[in-house]
Amino acid sequence: MFERYRVPIKTVAGRAAPIPEFVITRAENCVNCGKCEKSCIYGVHKRSEQDPRKMADPINNLCKNCFRCIQDCPQRALAMSPGPEYTSLGRGVWTSLRMLTIYDEAETGKIPVFGAGYRGAFAGPGYDGMWTDMSEIVRPTRDGIHGREYISTGVDIGRRPGYLKFSGDGRLVTGLQPLIEIPIPMVLDVTRMRIVSPSLLEGFAKAALSLGSLLFVKAGMLMPDGLVGRTKHIVTVQPEGTDVESMSLPDDARMAELNYSDSWRKDARAFRARFPKTVLSFRMQAATGVERKIAELAMGGVAAVHVLYDEEGLEPGNGDRHAKDSLKAIHRAMVAKSIRDEITIIAGGGIAAAEHVPKTIICGADVVSLERALMIALECRNHITCSQGSCPINVKSASPDWVEARVENLVGAWRDQLLEVLGAMGLREVRRLRGELGRAIFYEEVEREAFSEIEGGAADGTAR
Amino acid sequence: MAQRAEGCPKVFPEADLVPSEHLKFVNRFTVKRADTCISCGTCQSLCPYGVHKRVEGHVKILPPDDRKCIGPSCSVNYFFCVANCPTNSLSVGASDTFISLGDPRWTSDMILATWQQAETGQPISLDHAGNIGASGGGFDKLQFKFPENKRKLSPEDICTAIDLNRRGSGEKIRIPIPIYGGGMSFGSVSLYTMLARAKAARKWNTFTCTGEGGYPDALVPYKDHVITQIATGLFGVREETIQRARIVEFKYAQGAKPGLGGHLLHDKNTPDVARMREAVAYTSLFSPFPFHSVYSVEDHKKHLDWAHAINPRALMSVKVSTPNDVEMVSVGSYFAGAHIVHLDGGYGGKVAAPEIAKKNIAMLIVYAIPKVHKFLENEGIRDEVTLIASGGLRTAVDVAKSIALGADGAVIGTADLVALGCVRCGNCESGRGCPRGIATTDPVLDKLTDADWGAERISNLYNAWRLQWCDLLSRFEMTDISQLRGRTDLLVHGNGISKEVTP
Repeated sequence: MFERYRVPIKTVAGRAAPIPEFVITRAENCVNCGKCEKSCIYGVHKRSEQDPRKMADPINNLCKNCFRCIQDCPQRALAMSPGPEYTSLGRGVWTSLRMLTIYDEAETGKIPVFGAGYRGAFAGPGYDGMWTDMSEIVRPTRDGIHGREYISTGVDIGRRPGYLKFSGDGRLVTGLQPLIEIPIPMVLDVTRMRIVSPSLLEGFAKAALSLGSLLFVKAGMLMPDGLVGRTKHIVTVQPEGTDVESMSLPDDARMAELNYSDSWRKDARAFRARFPKTVLSFRMQAATGVERKIAELAMGGVAAVHVLYDEEGLEPGNGDRHAKDSLKAIHRAMVAKSIRDEITIIAGGGIAAAEHVPKTIICGADVVSLERALMIALECRNHITCSQGSCPINVKSASPDWVEARVENLVGAWRDQLLEVLGAMGLREVRRLRGELGRAIFYEEVEREAFSEIEGGAADGTAR
Repeated sequence: MAQRAEGCPKVFPEADLVPSEHLKFVNRFTVKRADTCISCGTCQSLCPYGVHKRVEGHVKILPPDDRKCIGPSCSVNYFFCVANCPTNSLSVGASDTFISLGDPRWTSDMILATWQQAETGQPISLDHAGNIGASGGGFDKLQFKFPENKRKLSPEDICTAIDLNRRGSGEKIRIPIPIYGGGMSFGSVSLYTMLARAKAARKWNTFTCTGEGGYPDALVPYKDHVITQIATGLFGVREETIQRARIVEFKYAQGAKPGLGGHLLHDKNTPDVARMREAVAYTSLFSPFPFHSVYSVEDHKKHLDWAHAINPRALMSVKVSTPNDVEMVSVGSYFAGAHIVHLDGGYGGKVAAPEIAKKNIAMLIVYAIPKVHKFLENEGIRDEVTLIASGGLRTAVDVAKSIALGADGAVIGTADLVALGCVRCGNCESGRGCPRGIATTDPVLDKLTDADWGAERISNLYNAWRLQWCDLLSRFEMTDISQLRGRTDLLVHGNGISKEVTP
């Protein structure tokens, strides 16, 4: 019987102390009158339990920045300031706000909703310089929240033939290649993580299993006992210089990944001969000329490629081209050769927010791989001391079940937000979103269109 | 300049001082007194602003009242307390509370300036810090090029009125200022907020809008200044609500959540709200997207004809969001018979919306206005359409910029709420709702807003804004705001200004 895909969501409290966005300080001239307790509707101010004559310290993480206690304090003893821990949390595209948003999504599995409009910068580099389109009048089956279940987020990894050929006596002639269908356009990738412990790995693997997605691990990473025989959802990434003739894969492996090198033709041939039922993907660091290399792979019969960007979503060289522009170039190069459907493009790196998933897909990727976001979902505090084995939240000690639930919540929240974007565009499947550059609005283009006639107007519209 | 059907209104409501004690909490600067203070009283005798005070007979001096402090720039004065303190106990610096208040789009300065205008009714100068945000793009990167001022025109000689009906048929409606209030439904905001906006609209002979949550009876006395909205959920829409309106607004989509419909969270759906919306209390209410009776522009015309049949004298306004093909949508609306095309761009929005939708979906209004304006001009129908812009317009100068880009007027939402004391904390959606009683239906919290007080504040804001438009027009030696429309040559884009706005 047909079963509708859904991500299991349940609230999973964090393990670390929450980071307050704003901090309320109580000056010494407080007379403990308790006015703040009455005026706060969020429960930030309470009397001290030890000594009810005194006010306890404010519970800052409940504060929603409404200033009511500050305005009502007869002594003017309260002041609000941006939380120091919060302001120092983020770096680059991994801003404090995005990290807090991911913590929240991983905890509740819900779409972040706030009032009073958008509050951030107008536009920015990379994905902050593009918007998605919407449609005023769309087909039936779209009914606000109630139409969402008709939207498919399923994608294929591998080569799906455009048509089938039969012989005169009705036998199938087209040679079918292995194909993986996953219900969400997101895969989990832990190969570039700074810390992976067996219990984290078990949690990620269980999440990939229950999401129906894939988990990319390094070959040789120790599989926890609980997963023996349940490795269908695990993709092993072979180290550089692997000899395809002698490498081994689990029996039920549906996909494997080799590092791209000059000998890729030989590797691909040998792989197909040895593992005909397994999808082969080549992994490559995006850099100058990536579009040419991928086109060659597609023409050479390779079914999938995994393009990697750095944590900021940039490729080295080409003036640190962002994934947005890099993927657009790749997509367009392949469309020009009419080979876009020959290859599945998985893109990873710099995916720091829910909106980056549809934006990456619009720019030309079929599937998005989540890496750093998974760690942030586990409340990673973005410290750089992991390599020395020190972690302020001791992430290694997290239980597999907790990891699984947090990752599922994050992916569930991101999928729901993907549905919002698809819904607004009137699209009924995410496959149709791939490379839909006409359904996006790019900063440079609209600036030029709207303001080129204005003095100083952006002829080039460089996004900052 | 377009021919006027009637003269320009000359009489406007007078501004009155409407202070709010509870909005006086924000101090720009913090004055700190260290323990080394010996309470000598030098600072008290020096400070002319009254920051330092000692209660008669007290030994110790009171903690500094830093709301009155003018900040470190005071150091040029002989009476600067920090320099004169014999024990070096005083220090003055920027206030954390001030920094915590705003955000790049609505800066702390902008919120304070809006409060000040709502309180006094007096305008701020056009180059005031409260007239430009720090978002680094859009309206914040566009500025007017003012010529050297030769002749100062008096506000009485300047007309800021716009016509809402520019077609051959139907009632001619002219509003004396180029703005009216946007739709905020009963349920998303309190009844007092709606009443305050309706009263202000009546004072200014302009409009406010019911939003999609029905037409509360309390608004009926203001029916000549209330637009009835027909949105996809059809909550509380009845024949009589359409029949009593002078303008009927069809809401296809809204800029804060383009293409997503509406959503009232269950907590805010109190029994009163549910009765108005003919729904079950404390359930989440969804307004679907789109109109399921409209799948083409022909259906859209049928829709307008239907409302026209119910109320033949009402003007038709069509509120649409801003997709890539917004200009085609606008032309379609015109040919379907709309008098007003209302474009609602992203980044705005008064109450709850998903973050992903507010920031990422649809075109921003600043791009959509020139696109639609030019297209309608090329089609030869620009002068029959009233083009209204909304979505992220925060100040009088933003409205003027929209008009210079090609709109006729604007719709205001958030600024009205800020005038009522909104601090933009953004918690409109959660639990009992707004801690200031503006965007709430909680029976206790909504007592925090008083409709008459609120109406005066909004009226003051409109007065301050009108005077700013008059000043702006006078500097361009224009006497009518319609002369400003489409004058992109008067604007300069931030890329051409050497001083970059910090993002």
